[in-house]
Amino acid sequence: MDWNADHAGFVIAAYALSLAFIAGLIIYIFNRDARTRKRLAQFEKPKK
Amino acid sequence: MQQFANPTRFLSLANKALPTIWAVTVVLFAIGLYGALIGAPPDYQQGETVRIMFVHVPAAWLAMLVYSVMALASAIAIIFRHPLADVAAKTAAPIGAVFCFLALATGSLWGKPMWGAWWVWDARLTSMFVLFLLYVGYIAIWQAIEEPSRAAMIARIVAIVGFINIPIIKFSVDWWNTLHQPASVLRMDGSTIDWSIRWPLLVLGLAYTILFLALHLTSMRSEITARKLRNLQIARSGEA
Repeated sequence: MDWNADHAGFVIAAYALSLAFIAGLIIYIFNRDARTRKRLAQFEKPKK
Repeated sequence: MQQFANPTRFLSLANKALPTIWAVTVVLFAIGLYGALIGAPPDYQQGETVRIMFVHVPAAWLAMLVYSVMALASAIAIIFRHPLADVAAKTAAPIGAVFCFLALATGSLWGKPMWGAWWVWDARLTSMFVLFLLYVGYIAIWQAIEEPSRAAMIARIVAIVGFINIPIIKFSVDWWNTLHQPASVLRMDGSTIDWSIRWPLLVLGLAYTILFLALHLTSMRSEITARKLRNLQIARSGEA
């Protein structure tokens, strides 16, 4: 990859955008999964 | 398929499979990105801009694949009343919407230097935009309708009816004159792309697909847990 080539900025923008959205999606899904499982564990915990 | 109908068994299988699936995803992305940014040569006409293809095409493939999965799951929900089918369709939608948006956005970034325009209303781009609207509409149905069984029924119909758009997207470049190039990878007479550029595309296509599998299984696990929690809350409020 020639980073100084014509239109290299478009290539960088496309990869950066893909990375940002995919990383955001992964974080969102993992956070939701962890939060839901934690809430279920708290709910199922016997009350003292 | 019936053996996966039990959510508890499904969760157990998903928990066992997910670490391996994530590991395969990371390896495939590493190989694919190496091929896309270092291994593949610049195109003789498009120069370095051709590298946008390696993130644009897999995103577009996945956007169509995910919608097909949603339509199939919705059909299974109607025909077989499979308890996980609605969960599969509902949790696939946000993932598909993100990849559809990425296909549109990276396509726009590719279009500007190649066509001189960020957007044109040609058949391929317009049908892809319609797919994005279908995703947004499908997600909105689940968000807007409080009664889950009613939301599920309307969402199933939207997913199945909207599937008509998938062959339209695929064949739009053959049926109409479009600025978008015709199919160059999946063709009856073989690919028109040189192997040095094709292999990173195929590896990244597989990487995106396995990534979807990992995200979908994780998301389904969350949805099953959320439904279990809701049922327990209802049962407890009934006891009180």
